[in-house]
Amino acid sequence: MKLLNKYNRLNILVTVTIMFVTGIIYYYTISRILTNQIDKDLILEENEVFSYVNLNHRLPDVYQSNHQQILFTLLGNKQITRRFLDTVYRETGDNDLEAGRALISSVKVNGQNYRILVTQSKVETEDLIQIIFLITIGVIVILLVVLMVLNRVILKSIWQPFYKVLTQVKQFNLTDHPSISSIPSSIDEFTELDKAVTAMAGRVKGDYENLKAFTENASHELMTPISVINSKLDTLVQTDEFTDKQSKLLNDLYATVARLTRLNKSMLLLSKIENKVIRDNQEVNIKDIAEDCLYLHEEIIQQKNITLQVHLEDKQVQANKLLIEVLLNNLISNAIKHNHENGDITLRLNHESLSVSNSGNSSINFDHALKRFQKSDGSEGIGLGLTLCKQVCDNYGFTFSYGYTNNMHTFSVIF
Amino acid sequence: MKILIVEDEAGLRDSIEAYFTGADSICETANDFHTALSKVSVYRYDCIILDLTLPQGNGLDIIRHLKANQHNDGVLIISAKNSLDDRLTGLDLGADDYLTKPFHLSELRSRVTAIVRRRSFNGNNNLLFNEIDIDLTAKTVKINNQLVKFTRKEYSLLLYFIANKGKVISKSAIAEHLWGDSIDIADNFDFIYSHIKNIRKKLVEAGGQDYIQAAYGMGYKFTEA
Repeated sequence: MKLLNKYNRLNILVTVTIMFVTGIIYYYTISRILTNQIDKDLILEENEVFSYVNLNHRLPDVYQSNHQQILFTLLGNKQITRRFLDTVYRETGDNDLEAGRALISSVKVNGQNYRILVTQSKVETEDLIQIIFLITIGVIVILLVVLMVLNRVILKSIWQPFYKVLTQVKQFNLTDHPSISSIPSSIDEFTELDKAVTAMAGRVKGDYENLKAFTENASHELMTPISVINSKLDTLVQTDEFTDKQSKLLNDLYATVARLTRLNKSMLLLSKIENKVIRDNQEVNIKDIAEDCLYLHEEIIQQKNITLQVHLEDKQVQANKLLIEVLLNNLISNAIKHNHENGDITLRLNHESLSVSNSGNSSINFDHALKRFQKSDGSEGIGLGLTLCKQVCDNYGFTFSYGYTNNMHTFSVIF
Repeated sequence: MKILIVEDEAGLRDSIEAYFTGADSICETANDFHTALSKVSVYRYDCIILDLTLPQGNGLDIIRHLKANQHNDGVLIISAKNSLDDRLTGLDLGADDYLTKPFHLSELRSRVTAIVRRRSFNGNNNLLFNEIDIDLTAKTVKINNQLVKFTRKEYSLLLYFIANKGKVISKSAIAEHLWGDSIDIADNFDFIYSHIKNIRKKLVEAGGQDYIQAAYGMGYKFTEA
C-alpha cells in the first residue's frame, strides 16, 4: 500500500470517528441545552399560573398560542408529582403531531386540586438540531476533502527528498562509478536518512573497492611465486633421467600450475575489467580474432568430429585486443567443451552481432551460469568463462544473451 | 649471445640464468635498478631480459636510458602485468617483446632467440640448422634444399625446438606455446604427439635427421646427436 493511501485511510478513519463521536456529543448537548430552555419557558408559564391563582383565586383562562398549550384538569384527592416529560404536540388547526415538551404540575384553587399540563412544541428545537447536524456533516465532508488534497500535496512536496533517495537507492549499483549524491532537505529526518544512505553507500563502495583491490593485488602477487614454481619445474626437467612415476608427477604439477595460472589470470582480468582500468584500445577486427581462435581449436574440433559452420563478415570494434580474444576464446571453447561427439558448431559474425551456436543436451540457466565459479557437471574449466564474457560485453556496451532452441545453445553478442 | 637478466626475484633469476647459460650464451644478472642501469651503461648485450617492477626503480626507465643513449640492445620485458597495464608503454618505448609472468623458460628462450636473430640477421633472414634451412620471412622450410610443407603449428613448433635445442621442453610448455595459456593444456596433450609425429615424418622423408627425442613421457628434446 502506498504511503499516501495508508496515510489517507488512517486519517479519514480517525477523522470520521472523531467527527462522529463529536457529533453525537454535540447533538445531546445542544438538545439538552435547548430542552432546558424549553423547560424554563414551561416553569415561567407555571409560575404565571401560580401567581394568577394567588392573585385571582381562580384558574386563568386557557388560551392557545401557536406553540404552547395549557390544560387544567380537576384532580380530586389524587396527588401528582411535578415532572417534565417528552410528549407529542398537536398544532392548532393542524393534524400533524410534533415533538413536544410538557410540564405536569398541580395547583390548588379554592380547595380544589388541579393538574396543570403545559405543553410546548419542540419543532423549532428539532429544526435547529437538524441544521446543526447538517452543518456538522458539511464540515466533515469539507474537512475530508481538504485533508485528502492536503495529504497529496504534502506527500508530493514534503516527501520529495524521500522519494529521490529511494530512487537513488534503487538504482544503486556497486560496479557503476557514480555514487549516491546527497539530496538536500529542510526536514531533519530526511536529512538524516540522506546522510545515512550516502554514508552507507560510501561504506559499501569503499569495502567493495578494497575487496577488488585485494583480489587484484593478491592475484598479482601470486604471479611471482607461480612463475618461480614454473621456472623451477622447467629447470628440474633438465636435470636427469626420470622414471615414469616421476614423469607423471611432474606432468601433474605442470598441469596444476597451468590451471592455477589460468585461474589467477582470469581473476585478475575480471577485477581489471570491473575496475575499468582497461587501456590500450585499438581497432580490432573480430573476424581475424575469430579465425585465430578457430585455428587454435582446430585439433579438438576435428577430434570430436564436430561439424563447423562459419559465416564471418568483417567487423571492426574499438576495444582491447586481449579482451576480445578472451571473449571469443571462451565462447568457442565452451561451444566445443559442452558439445558431444559428431556435434555441430555454427559461428556467425556480421555487422550487428556475433553468435556461437552448438549442439548440446539441455538448456542451461543463463543467469546462474553467469555467476562466478559456476561450473556445469563434469566441466574441467575454472567457472569464470561466462562471467568474463559478460564482463567484456558490459565493458564495451555489448549485449550478451543466450537462447536454446532445437537442441542448440546459442550465445550472442550484439554490438 | 650475451644476455642480461634484470630480475629481483632470486628464484626466477637463477632459473633463467641456469637455462640460458650454455655453449653459445653468456649471462649476466642484475637484481635491482641501479645495478642494471650501471651494467647497461657500460656493456652492450644482445638481449636484456627486463622485469619492470624493480627495487629502487621502474624497468621502463632502463629502456628510456638505452634509447636516450642510442644503444640498440634487444629488450624483452617480463612482467606480472599483462597487456591491460603497461605492455603498450614498454613496447612504445622500444622494447622488442613482452612476456607475461608466469612463463616457461623455453618460451622465454624462444622469444629471446627471435629477438637476437632479428637484430643480427638484417636482410638475410634465414635460419640454418644442419640440413634444415628456414626462411623466417616467408615462413618456409627447406630440408636438403628441398621445400617441405609444414603447417603453421608445425612450423612454429620446429622453430621453438631449434631455439631450445638440447633442452627438455615439457608438454605443458609446448601446449602453451601452440595454444596459448587460455586453453586447458591437458586437452591438448594428445595433439602435441600428432604434431610432433608429423614433424618427424616430414624431416625424415625429406632425408633429414630425426632430431626430436621423447623425454620420459614428460616432453621432448631437440638434439643434434
